[in-house]
Parts: sequence; structure tokens; C-alpha cells
Amino acid sequence: MSVFLAILWKDLVTEWRSRDRVVAMGLFALLVVVVLHFALPVAPGGRELEAFLPGLLWVAYVFAALLGLNRAFALELENETLSALALAPADRGWIFLGKAAANWILLGLVQAATAVAFVLAFQAPFGAVAAPLAGIVALGSLGLCAVGTLFGAISVRTRYREVMLPLLLLPLLVPVLLGAVRATAELLQTGRVSFAPLQLLIVTDVVFLIASFLGFEYVLDE
Amino acid sequence: MSDAPAIVARGLTKQFGPVVALAGVDLEVPAGTVLAVLGPNGAGKTTLLRLLAGLARPSAGSVRVDGGDADRRHPRGRVGFIGHHTMLYPALTARENLVFAARLYGVADPGGRAEQLLTRNGLAAYADWPAGSFSRGMAQRLAIARGLVHDPAVMLLDEPFTGLDAPAAERLVASLRELREEGRTCVLATHDLARAGAVADRALVLSRGRVTHEARGAPLAAESLERAYRAAVGVT
Repeated sequence: MSVFLAILWKDLVTEWRSRDRVVAMGLFALLVVVVLHFALPVAPGGRELEAFLPGLLWVAYVFAALLGLNRAFALELENETLSALALAPADRGWIFLGKAAANWILLGLVQAATAVAFVLAFQAPFGAVAAPLAGIVALGSLGLCAVGTLFGAISVRTRYREVMLPLLLLPLLVPVLLGAVRATAELLQTGRVSFAPLQLLIVTDVVFLIASFLGFEYVLDE
Repeated sequence: MSDAPAIVARGLTKQFGPVVALAGVDLEVPAGTVLAVLGPNGAGKTTLLRLLAGLARPSAGSVRVDGGDADRRHPRGRVGFIGHHTMLYPALTARENLVFAARLYGVADPGGRAEQLLTRNGLAAYADWPAGSFSRGMAQRLAIARGLVHDPAVMLLDEPFTGLDAPAAERLVASLRELREEGRTCVLATHDLARAGAVADRALVLSRGRVTHEARGAPLAAESLERAYRAAVGVT
């Protein structure tokens, strides 16, 4: 547990001082919103747009997450600090949990800013459902960050890590995106969410967290 | 100094695809001694140290460190490792780097241990400086402090003299002597024959993943060591 807290503290403090990842992720997500704003042939606030909004929102979230997850371990290569983490005698699953929790918190900040950008650009009706929407986003991001942290660590030592991470990660994110987009769409259309998409999100999160916790033991070996 | 080996490696082999980085290396390092591992670039020095540290798994053979059976679970907590790079976070202060490392190793009083090591390594005045602002010599001292944070019985140092000016390198030699006097076992991979000879009790020369020469007894026979090193490098 102390290893988990140490990693979480370290990642958040170094990010607070450098703002390396959050700024890059935030700017990238903002650019995605701007591109979508000009590319979509529908008027902001219209009924046609409402059908697209959940998918567009999660596209922006996933793109921003990919950028942040890639950087999370690339920063650990700078002074070979990844080896320092691998040398820790604790179960490496705790290292995974610390990194994943930090990724989840940082991504959450970017997602909040991106949601505001969606409201401004598309007059997205997020205000009325802010709390349940935050819950769905948190659940979806948990699965994304769990498996993303694992594959970020796997791809970081590969030659084409920027390409490798999306190639490995995106196919695995299908159940997370299915659940998250469906839950978001239901929430925006009816103000409620049925149990089925939430169940899919929760089950996926639990499976990804357990598999990544156990698999991380072997990921840091050279 | 005890005669019981702190490190025992048998038939240690590591392959990276078709490349054999280490080919059946046998090694015994008695507790409380300093072993210098010499050899040209690509000889397998770094691979050997990373296998001993538990950072990599051998393709064949076994490693036993400080009595811990590395075949089942490497006793990483008994090993301090100082690599090519400092393994420090530039955005964290010297104190924060040490406290973080202490927490990773489950040290009881991380803050107290950090203060102790900062003082010991002459860095107390710079405790609140970001590690990224340190000179190479200061960063190396902090890296050594980080390696010692959990009071390991075995220290592995990979090219620790690289990039140090003469005074910093001499200070490092003094630190290595201190480690030996404290009874720690050290394995030092280096190109620097003179400094290795000044601090090591034993030496081995690696060439293309194999041990080509071994020397023991301080002071080391500098001439034969240099001859073996030159042969490994391919210079006669």
C-alpha cells in the first residue's frame, strides 16, 4: 500500500511541477473538439447532434488518454527511473496501481475541461446531468487507465511506442467504449441510465484491473 | 570479511534474440569484497549487473544473491543498484527523491533515512534543490545515496565513473572504500582500470559475454589485468 501511495504522490507532484502531460492532453483534446466543431455538418445544439455527442465525447477522451498514457512511462525512461521502480522489492502490482491511479486522476482533469469545451462548442446539455455523467466517465476511464497503464509499460521499450500503444490498446477498449458510449447516450436522451451498460463497464473495469495488477509483475522485466 | 559468497552465479546466460550477451558466466563474490568487472563496450558487463540486480531474467543459469534464491523470486530488497543513469526524478528535490526511494523499499522512517544519507553524502545543504539542477558529480552522489536507502548488503554499480571529473571520481572511490569497510559486497562494472584497481579486491575481464581473465588479492596485479583487458579490447 505504501508503494501505491508513493507512486501516486510522485506522479502527481512531478506532474504538478512540470505540467508536462496535462497540458499536452488538454490541448490535444481541445484541438479535437475544434476540429469536430468545424468538420460536423450539423448545427450546435440541434437534435441531430445529440445522437453523435456521446461518441464524439469519448473519441476526444480516448485520444487524450492515449497521449497521456504514452507519456506516463516515456517520462520514466528519462533517467532510467523505470529500472528504479522495477527494483523495488514490493509486489509490482502496487506500482501498476499507483501509476494507473495517477493516470486516472490526470485524465479526469482533462476530461472535465474537455466536457466544458463540448458545452461551449456544441451547446452540449451536460449541465443538467453533470453528476451522473461524471460517474460514467469515471467508470469508463478506470478501465481505460487500467489496461492503458499495462500496455503503456509494455510498449514503452518498443521502438515504435507511439504507434504500438494505440495498436495494442484500441481493440481492447471496445467493451469499455461500448458501455461508456451507451451509458452516456442513455443519460443524455432520458436523464437515466439502465443497468446493462453500467454492468458492462463495471465487469470490464474489474477484469482489466485484476489482469493488469497480476500481469504487471512480468512487464517490467527486461 | 566473511568467506561465504554473497553472490553466486552459475552458467549465467542471456540472449537477446540471436545475440548472446552473456554465455555461461560462473561467478562467486565473497561477502564484503569488491569485484571489478572490466571489458570493452558490448562485453556483457551491464547485462551481468542487470541479471544480478533482478532487472532481467536469465535465458539460462541461476543467480543467488545474499542467500536469496533468485530462481524463485529475486531478493531485490537486498540489492542496491546504480546504473548508467542516475535513476533520479529531476522535478523532485534531493530529499524527495530519497524519501520516495525509501517508501518504495518500505523503510520505516523515510524522512529520517533521507536526512541521514544527505548528510553522509555531503548534500544536506542541497536537500531542497531539484535533482535536475545538480551537477553530474552531485547527481552521482545522490544516486549512491538512493542506492543505499534500504541499507543493502550488495551494491551493484554500472559505470559509476562515467562523466565525472577527477575530484568527483576520487570522491566516488572514497565512497566505494567506505562501502567495503561497512562490509557491503560491491560489484563494479567499469572501463577505468586504475580506479577499479584502487578499490577492488577481485577483478574479472569479460569479452563477448565470456570471462576471459580473473584476478584476486588487493592490490590487484595491474600489469596482468591491463594485459587481459587489452586482449579483450583487441589492442596488444
